[in-house]
Amino acid sequence: MTLIEVNHVEKYYGTYHALKDISLNVEDGEFIALVGPSGCGKTSLLKILAGFEDLTEGALHIEGRSMVGVPPSQRPTRMVFQKLALFPHKTIYDNIAFPLRIAKVDATTIKTKVDEMIELMHLKPEYLTRFPAQLSGGEQQRVALARAMVSGPSVLLLDEPLSALDVKLKKSLQTELKRLHRIVGTTFVHVTHDLEEAMMLADRICVMRAGEVLQVGTPDEIYYRPATEFVSGFIGETNLIDCEVTRSGDTAAFKSETIAGACEGLAAAQVAPAIEGGAAKLMVRPEKIDFAEGDHGLDCTLDGKVEEFFKKGATTQYRVRLTQNDQLIFVELPGAPDVPKDVGDPVTLGFNRADVYILKADSHAG
Amino acid sequence: MRVKEVNWSNKGLLSATGPLTIMLLLFFLIPFFMTVVLSFQSTQYYRLQWTWDLDIWKEVFSEYFIWRIMWRTLTMSALCVVLCVVISLPIAYALINRMKSMENNVKILIVFAFLADAVLKTFGWVLVLDKSGVMNGFLAWIGLPEIDILFSPTATMIGMVYNLVPYTIFTIYLSMDRIDRDLVRAAYDAGASRFRTFWEVTLPLSKPGIFAGAILVFVLSLGVFLEPKVMGGGTRPMAAELIRQSFETRVNWPLGAALTLVVIAIGAITLAIAGKIAARTSAANATLAQEDSK
Amino acid sequence: MIADRFERRLVDAILYGSVLAILVFFYIPIITLVVFSFTESRFLTYPIESYSTKWYFELIADKDFLPALGNSALLAVTTCILATALGTAGAIAWIRLQFRFKRVFQIISFAPLLFPQLLLGVVMLLWFSVLGNWLEFSPSLWTAAIGHIIYITPFALVIVAVQVVGFDDTLEDAARDLGASDIEVLKEVTLPLLWPGIMSAAIFAFLLSWGNFYLTYSLSGTARTLPTYVFSGIAVGSSPIYPALATLTFVPSLLLVGFADFYRRKLAKRKTV
Repeated sequence: MTLIEVNHVEKYYGTYHALKDISLNVEDGEFIALVGPSGCGKTSLLKILAGFEDLTEGALHIEGRSMVGVPPSQRPTRMVFQKLALFPHKTIYDNIAFPLRIAKVDATTIKTKVDEMIELMHLKPEYLTRFPAQLSGGEQQRVALARAMVSGPSVLLLDEPLSALDVKLKKSLQTELKRLHRIVGTTFVHVTHDLEEAMMLADRICVMRAGEVLQVGTPDEIYYRPATEFVSGFIGETNLIDCEVTRSGDTAAFKSETIAGACEGLAAAQVAPAIEGGAAKLMVRPEKIDFAEGDHGLDCTLDGKVEEFFKKGATTQYRVRLTQNDQLIFVELPGAPDVPKDVGDPVTLGFNRADVYILKADSHAG
Repeated sequence: MRVKEVNWSNKGLLSATGPLTIMLLLFFLIPFFMTVVLSFQSTQYYRLQWTWDLDIWKEVFSEYFIWRIMWRTLTMSALCVVLCVVISLPIAYALINRMKSMENNVKILIVFAFLADAVLKTFGWVLVLDKSGVMNGFLAWIGLPEIDILFSPTATMIGMVYNLVPYTIFTIYLSMDRIDRDLVRAAYDAGASRFRTFWEVTLPLSKPGIFAGAILVFVLSLGVFLEPKVMGGGTRPMAAELIRQSFETRVNWPLGAALTLVVIAIGAITLAIAGKIAARTSAANATLAQEDSK
Repeated sequence: MIADRFERRLVDAILYGSVLAILVFFYIPIITLVVFSFTESRFLTYPIESYSTKWYFELIADKDFLPALGNSALLAVTTCILATALGTAGAIAWIRLQFRFKRVFQIISFAPLLFPQLLLGVVMLLWFSVLGNWLEFSPSLWTAAIGHIIYITPFALVIVAVQVVGFDDTLEDAARDLGASDIEVLKEVTLPLLWPGIMSAAIFAFLLSWGNFYLTYSLSGTARTLPTYVFSGIAVGSSPIYPALATLTFVPSLLLVGFADFYRRKLAKRKTV
């Protein structure tokens, strides 16, 4: 069932065009992440879902009900704020119980529900009488989640609640969020600027930039089949090589001055839908590239020189400067290469046809 | 804190500003306007005459004693400002940098003294400074000669500083409290002495507080009446006493109104000049800062 | 090294000394009054020969004392409530709202603070006399109350404004998101969070009005409050009933300031484990 329907939403702040023709459907029970750099409109979209901002044009339905003009308090959504917004003058118990008290739920039910939340969030019962400032950052996060979920909303909106935490705590709360989503089954809409976090958590990711949705897809689609250059560069390092698409369709083909080898016979799914021919970018992820040595059996090869290498624990990263056009190529090898390479060594890189994806070059950089 | 842009038709804005604006309009702005109007009338046989002329203003500008009193008020006020600022600086600094656990207790003691009834405190000073009062008792006890300063300008000044110094302590304290302590540490680190650090870092950065406090004290001291009357003995009256007499003793309301306006004008002009100087020094500082960064 | 240590000693001496000196300075007249209130003699001269509490009884027996006390209390309570309410509303407009003519509003709502009090009183008295002639009333406690409100509201406004500046308004969003109506948001979140500021403003307003002399003196007509009662008394001749009165009037201030500090400590406790 489609729980949230966003249809052609436009949002202006004065003359500033914050959201441009946004359409997005969210299924019931889905974990969706809105990702993009700051100013991309993800927070505006979240605020429109929560009801803190009105949309300028378009339609928004949640549970089949139009949300235009419905105040936040009347919506089936609950928000977890970036800075948590726990009431500093109320105890943890009163914070969690707040939405129930406002809804005039009787005291015994409130008690039961708060206790349930406390258990679910692994909070210690003795915290209930404390004030938010007396808890650690991670504990405060759990309280904020408990407060948002206690009244059983159908949508939980998360506004970068993990952005202020240190790395270790962040990892543990990410795990927690995933577990929580699995147990409760509520729809989560999670705003973050961290695509890695989105990859970890979400069923689907909506990548935004400058008020536009660039791509909506599963983490695998976003990672291996990004719609644009911008999306491809948003997570990890990637390699984009200029190329020209000579044939599209079932057995697509491309050619490139930089690349030697067989460039014919790509599957239709390996070329971004919008491309019919002409200049494009060939994307190949660093871990899909290997050194082409001996009887390597790789479809395409590139020549260059090792510029620098880094040991990254389980993997080794090489940066290779191409002879042809001075482009820097990232190569990520599991462990170490068979023949050790040093800075300045000439090398030949190779990859398989099946591991490339051809996408549209961005008209403007960014 | 985000600031919400609202229209005058907004109910929240009207309920937040409406009652106060009406109060101020009815009982502050209109009375002020009234005072201006009244200064163009005159009195005869203790009765107000609606004459609409400049007689009162001519009288005000030709009477020598009025301007002598105004000058005295101005100099006393200026001296009071200087004393208040000089006294407040080390106290505010000490409260922030030395007191730690005691800070709150000292603040409470100061607030309590500030909020206690001014007439009573002034009366208390009379008991202290009286020829046969506490101070001379104490001086005799430690074997020093008596001093007789009650009913003198010195006593008036003690009373004024006493009643007004809390204002400068508060404003300077608030301003100093906002200075980043690392700046002071950086200055020590660069080898500056404590006095020099205070002079070159703390003092310039507490300027807004010093300024605000000085203005408050100056304006309030233009209107003092209790201290010259009760502690100064009323022999050397200041502007407020003159105004009170015009209303009460001479029942000359237009004169009182005109004198009130003169005092307000003195205050306003001083404020304007001070504002100009402040703007110029901050502009000069900005230029200096720019040149430094080059 | 020695110079540095000497400098530090000197600085410490100046700083601690100045705080000690100012406290002594502030409390000289206050303690003197308290001590003299227990004198036996009818003359307020030092040294005090013997002590008694008889002047407290004399004071209570004075026919003008109790009405003055009642008037002071009535005036202070009225002023406290209205000035705090107006100041709180004004502070919210100052800090949280942006509107046309905001600057004008700021200037006029702050101006009474920069007005010498006696002149403020005089200017208002002129207006009340005109209004009184016209509407047939004469200056009374109520005109004095208006004067107090005009003068004290800016103080309340500034004190509450400091609290409003530190206010995190996403807390209101959070309450709304959790289902609260506007009234519930105000009751559950906004007011409780501004409460420390509102309360200190109320205490300040009460005590400023309680001890106010200038405005009451100009505006109250024949009604007397404690400060004007004392003023007219000492103008005629000093008597130990005034120190006794002073000692009595310090009691409510002491209680209120003590209460404010107790409350502050209670709030601070919520921030530590």
